[in-house]
Amino acid sequence: MKTVAPLKFSRVGENELHFADETGRFFRADNIFLGRLVSGELSSSDHDFLQAEDLLLHPGGTPRISTLSRLSRRLTRPSKPNYLLVVPTLRCDLSCSYCQVSRANLNAKGYDWSDALCEQVCAYIDKVGGEDIQIEFQGGEPTLRPDLLKRVMKFARGRFKSTRFIVCTNLSRLTNEIRALYAMDDVYISTSFDGTWELHKEQRLDTEDQLQSFETNLAEVLRIAPGRVSALPTLNPKNLPNVADLLSSFDALGMRSIFLRPVVFHGFARKAHSSSRNIDETWWKFYRSCIDAMIDRNMDDEHDPFEDYYLTHIIKRMLRPGEDGHFDLRSGSWLGYDHQVIDYDGTVYPSDEARMMARTGQVDLSIGDVVKGVDAVKRSSMQSSALNMFDPWCRQCPYSAACGSDPIDDIARYGRTDVPKPNTAFCQRHMRLFELAGELIYSKDSRVQSSLAKWLDLPSAVNLGARLA
Amino acid sequence: MLNDLTLEASYPDHQFVDPVARLSAEPGEKAAHLVFENGLTCAFEHEGQHVLIQGAKADDIIGDVVRFEPERHQVSRWIRKRSLHNTLLITEQCDQLCVMCSQPPKKTHVDQFADYAAALRLAPHGSVIGLSGGEPTLHKAKLLSMMESVGEERPDIRFHVLTNAQHFSADDLLRFRHPVYRQTLWGVPLYSATPVVHDRIVKKIGAFEQLRMGLDIMAEGGLHLELRTVLLRDNYSELPNLARLVAKQFDYIDVWAIMQLEKIGFASNRWTELFHDHTQDIDVLEDTVAYAKAFGLDVSLFNFPRCTLPISLRGIAAASISDWKADYAQECDSCDEKPVCGGLFAWHKTLEDYAIRGPL
Repeated sequence: MKTVAPLKFSRVGENELHFADETGRFFRADNIFLGRLVSGELSSSDHDFLQAEDLLLHPGGTPRISTLSRLSRRLTRPSKPNYLLVVPTLRCDLSCSYCQVSRANLNAKGYDWSDALCEQVCAYIDKVGGEDIQIEFQGGEPTLRPDLLKRVMKFARGRFKSTRFIVCTNLSRLTNEIRALYAMDDVYISTSFDGTWELHKEQRLDTEDQLQSFETNLAEVLRIAPGRVSALPTLNPKNLPNVADLLSSFDALGMRSIFLRPVVFHGFARKAHSSSRNIDETWWKFYRSCIDAMIDRNMDDEHDPFEDYYLTHIIKRMLRPGEDGHFDLRSGSWLGYDHQVIDYDGTVYPSDEARMMARTGQVDLSIGDVVKGVDAVKRSSMQSSALNMFDPWCRQCPYSAACGSDPIDDIARYGRTDVPKPNTAFCQRHMRLFELAGELIYSKDSRVQSSLAKWLDLPSAVNLGARLA
Repeated sequence: MLNDLTLEASYPDHQFVDPVARLSAEPGEKAAHLVFENGLTCAFEHEGQHVLIQGAKADDIIGDVVRFEPERHQVSRWIRKRSLHNTLLITEQCDQLCVMCSQPPKKTHVDQFADYAAALRLAPHGSVIGLSGGEPTLHKAKLLSMMESVGEERPDIRFHVLTNAQHFSADDLLRFRHPVYRQTLWGVPLYSATPVVHDRIVKKIGAFEQLRMGLDIMAEGGLHLELRTVLLRDNYSELPNLARLVAKQFDYIDVWAIMQLEKIGFASNRWTELFHDHTQDIDVLEDTVAYAKAFGLDVSLFNFPRCTLPISLRGIAAASISDWKADYAQECDSCDEKPVCGGLFAWHKTLEDYAIRGPL
């Protein structure tokens, strides 16, 4: 008989275990199977099942080429910088209590790129970039400086084979100059919308007039840039919207793919909300209600499904290698390589969180600047725990192949990268999500299966969870 | 006709010393240049010898790489400049005898490797060339040598080879490092997850097991792989099992092509015995595609008229039937999706095999 691939497992029910190999190939079985596995007394039907799941090794213990192929496709490779987050100005015309990005007052001096620095930023992007580029304009409020946005876009369109720009804006202002920028097909608009108009005003705005202009401007960009507008809710576990209202508000905007995240306490947010260091049960209860409500609404509906963008991503990563599009959930995590942040003063950081930590004086994680370039030694020193494969805790976890690593988040929260993984917010949050994803994949409820099929864009609902009977 | 693979020709000089050339408007190296044209008749000259071609306008064939065949009074258009579907027949020998074979095998082999290599060197820039059979790897040494030497001179050419994957061994692994294989796609037929069913369809005992090992070797060599499954009565209901096999055990492949049957070769005499109308139980096909897609496989449907598919599957239906094989039924004229539909095989121009059909 052939050898079984090394299996990791986690209990998901009294008599139910979730097993997976190093490549993320998973199945579920009961306690009795675990007994047979441990004592080496697998039945021939166990073997047939494991062979069908490609979890047997060649005699002698070498893996099949299919296993090695999956393993290699699970690893994210580094590439030239292709997603840059740039901060042309730190100034902002709003002052939200949970501001994640640290900001400067509207009239403050010295918080914008100078003309010369803008040139240097473009020269830097020219030098480090590959063939394609995505540039996300962050702030501050980047539309305070449409002139700088225009210059960067003009340069990038001339330099790269394909370009995509994301303007992260609070939509408080919409001038003709900005309208013209938004009309271009490669420009995407990302704004914040906190779930309902009332909550949005409460959390972000001072006056009814401000809300009015936000509503008007949002409606207008949806017209100018159809299919190119997205809105992220910032959800505070202490002040959550009604689930039905949240879904209906996004639906009314034509947005059914929502990224449901609790407020991330970085930057100034950490000071104002210091009691909320850990995501509490309130959040998960709310999150679960949202997912259940989405599944309900997806039932008799031929349109795009409601989904939590991140849960769909987690499910895809469980099923397949190579779903590496989300920078915060990869192994290796190549922050500072394919993804870089260029601040208002030309400093280069490996991620936006690293920028915030420097700004709040926690720790300087900058890796260089646009004039001198990136300090390769400093950058690589942050990569020691960028692969979760070698983490002693992740090694035992059946979800690790689909999960990732975020050393910068660990530094931000704990000041170090060697905190036992189960004690980190990153691990706790992702365990909840993987367990939920697993529960949905193995659900016998046809409504759940129907939503899964829609989230994965499948022609029909089909049983995806292998179970050893 | 523009799409014909051979054209009638007369050879006043009765022979051709160098039979492979590119038809061109002007004289040049390896070029047969136009000396006369009148409607559907044109004359070309190559190294002092002449050919009179019937049935095509000069404009439609200039740029083609052809083989002059005085003894058969014809010109073979091996590489048609305007076509995306140029295929060279490596051999007509085969070690399988598939029940639906579109190109029934012959015992003898005509070795044309030298002429094929000459033709490939003249192919238009960036051509994708099919290499097919029979089973091309029955002549593996010559086949690989030809691909490698052409690849060195013409790195812009890409190959699509059809093979049963049963003639490779670990000894070939070093060879697969040659750069030509980075731009070659190997199409391998796999008909069932049940070994006896696959073996029965290809009429070769043990084929499934050999194929399984062969695929692993090809994957280890880093070859790009396309699995090809033709729908038949014998395998349709079990397609979901095949999806599980491919998604779980052969997930190193690049693409899985699921193909509806072509009524030619053996399949035309055995049509009622072999053909399965997928519109009768489309859920089987939907579940198959759903499972494979969920696990990240790239699945395409070939030879499926769009009107026979539910909307959920039309997105992966390729407009695939080779240009020289494709045609449309009369009712297709009123169909909105005709421009994006692959159509029907010209020699079997009917939608009547399908209970559910268009126009859309």
